[in-house]
Amino acid sequence: MNQTVLVCDDAIFMRTMISDILSQAGFEVVGEAESGLQAVEKYRMLKPDLVTMDIVMPDMGGIEAVREICKDDPAARILMCSAMGQQALVVEAIQAGAKDFVVKPFQPSRVLEAVQRVLA
Amino acid sequence: MDVSKYAALFLAESREHLNACNGSLLEWERAPASVEPVDRLFRSIHTIKGMAATMGYAAVAQLAHSAENLLDALRHDRVGATPTVFQLLFRAVDALGQAVEGVAAGSEADADTLLIAELDSAATGEGTPAAAGPQSPVASRPATVGTAPPTRRASDAPRSRPVHVTIRPGALMRGARAALVLRRAEGLGEVSGLRPAVAQLERDEFDGRFFFRLQTRLPDAEITSALGTVGEVEAVQLQEPAAEVEVEARSRQIRVDLRRLDALMKHVGELVVAKNRLSALSVGAADPALVELGERIARLVSAMQTEVLAARMTPVGEVFERFPRLARDLSRDLGKRIRFDMEGEEIELDRSILDEIGDPLLHLIRNAADHGIEPPDQRTSAGKPAEGRILLSATRERNTVALRVVDDGRGIDRARILEKARREGLATSDVDTLTDDLLVRVLARPGFSTAASVSGVSGRGVGVDVAMTRVRALGGTLEVRSELGRGSTFLIRVPLTLAIVRALLAEAGGERYAVPLAYVAETVEFDRRAVTSVRDREALVVRDQVIPTIHLRDLVSAPSQGQPARQPTVILEVGERRTALVVDALLGQQDIVVEPFDAPRGMPPFVGGATILADGKPALILDAAALL
Repeated sequence: MNQTVLVCDDAIFMRTMISDILSQAGFEVVGEAESGLQAVEKYRMLKPDLVTMDIVMPDMGGIEAVREICKDDPAARILMCSAMGQQALVVEAIQAGAKDFVVKPFQPSRVLEAVQRVLA
Repeated sequence: MDVSKYAALFLAESREHLNACNGSLLEWERAPASVEPVDRLFRSIHTIKGMAATMGYAAVAQLAHSAENLLDALRHDRVGATPTVFQLLFRAVDALGQAVEGVAAGSEADADTLLIAELDSAATGEGTPAAAGPQSPVASRPATVGTAPPTRRASDAPRSRPVHVTIRPGALMRGARAALVLRRAEGLGEVSGLRPAVAQLERDEFDGRFFFRLQTRLPDAEITSALGTVGEVEAVQLQEPAAEVEVEARSRQIRVDLRRLDALMKHVGELVVAKNRLSALSVGAADPALVELGERIARLVSAMQTEVLAARMTPVGEVFERFPRLARDLSRDLGKRIRFDMEGEEIELDRSILDEIGDPLLHLIRNAADHGIEPPDQRTSAGKPAEGRILLSATRERNTVALRVVDDGRGIDRARILEKARREGLATSDVDTLTDDLLVRVLARPGFSTAASVSGVSGRGVGVDVAMTRVRALGGTLEVRSELGRGSTFLIRVPLTLAIVRALLAEAGGERYAVPLAYVAETVEFDRRAVTSVRDREALVVRDQVIPTIHLRDLVSAPSQGQPARQPTVILEVGERRTALVVDALLGQQDIVVEPFDAPRGMPPFVGGATILADGKPALILDAAALL
């Protein structure tokens, strides 16, 4: 069975791009979320193997969502998707429990490497 | 083998060791039970002996040999460390100093046989006053007994492992990578001793390498594999860093003759002038390649200048280290109890300034011990501790270093100084109080002394004026604060470096003048509407502060340009004193090379030197202190 992914980003463009990269690599994108709140709800519902998480989102940001998700499931595998210059936020997300990060603009190979590391 | 070419090296190293000896002796005398200082003393003396013997300086070697014997006996508790023995050792160090300076000056004296005999008999514990007198060792050091604690290492006990991590160069957000590694490490055991600090890592202020200690039961291979699989980690090494770093630091030190550095500095100075000129020329050039080359050379010259200046920087501790001994001798000679403390020995100054600063400090410390600190009985009856205190401190303040000699003695009696100043015509009769400013000017008058008698230590009136002259020659300032009954503070402020200074260029009457930036607080507009008058002097109000003005045109006797409503003004600041220098125009900042300046007769005192500007034309450097 393919490994399942939940893609969280408030921009459709980014969600589409990440979904494409992962589906082409054989992952099954089981859900998308456009806010932190949605991400937490869908995680509980879908129990995906992997979550990609944007940092800045409306209705609860990515870091808060990481904290909430890890509270329920400390083993959750969350990959942060960050823009340049958000290092402090990335560090905060890591401390909250995120397992790795990639920096936008994405290179598909980088994203997949990071995903492999998180799932390893 | 011709050893004469090593003479300079011998001299330099011996001086260093002898200075260190004085320090060690003082330390040991304060804590006779400590082992550290006597071991250091022994090593220093031993080194001097070896060098002297190699150079063929028999007298030095002989004296060092006897001192070494005594130290060895002390080290092994064959003799006790009595005050007499300390005094003998101080004398031996002094004698060695004289012998070393003697051979350096080309006149090797005969060995001091009397002193050698004293050292030898003290070493055998016979016949010296130390041994013949009542056996009252100050303390004898506890013999080191016992063996090292058994090293037990159960294989399952947690061990502290040093961990070096290197993030791949070019990786994005290396700080966040480091955070990932650390988080993973925290899952393996206890993390401590992180270098660089977390805050630096998080701001990406590191070169991709960091270090921490990990307390864990896990075998090395598991640690490396767990941490090595974090993204973008290039290498994980588990090894002690200290030894490696130390070897590196040691092997990368070399001794350089100061004259070499002086010559290098001079060339760099000329290069800076040439660079400035090149920049000025290439601004108008049409060829972009030339402009780029000009900029590149400018960057390289600045980098070189920074390096040379850094190579010349020396901790003030090198000059400070002779003062504890001086203070000790002074307190003995004067029959006073003085505690001497030093702070900020690590503050650095250009070597050439450091060499000049010793004498002024010496005079100020002597003054403090002689005039400042009262005899113990006087102190006690004044309700002060019997032991007086002198503090010598260095602090970095902007582009200057502030050196303070602080005492908690009787303070300066202004009434007495004023009376004396009036008698000698230094103060007019309408002056009824001495401000700190006026006080230092009066004290610094050549030959001015209030000491009732010349004491051999000070009192000939060559304290403050010598200090003042030297400090002013360095482009520095001398200030005094004093409170009757509470003590005095003498403050010397000198620039960090002499040779190249950053200066603000100003124009007045068609000529250009350089004002060292170290004394520039800010620049403001001279606005006629903000002018007021204080005691018949024009003054400018800047943010509610009244600052007396000086018009540069008046100063250099250039014709006045009428009364323009607004003019650029430089606020000069030395210590807490400020003055507003009104100029025609400000022309920007430039590194200027201060040319040694033999002031021609009639040169006004506010000219501190001369320099060549970027366009190859000369400009005068204004001495901020003289303007205030």
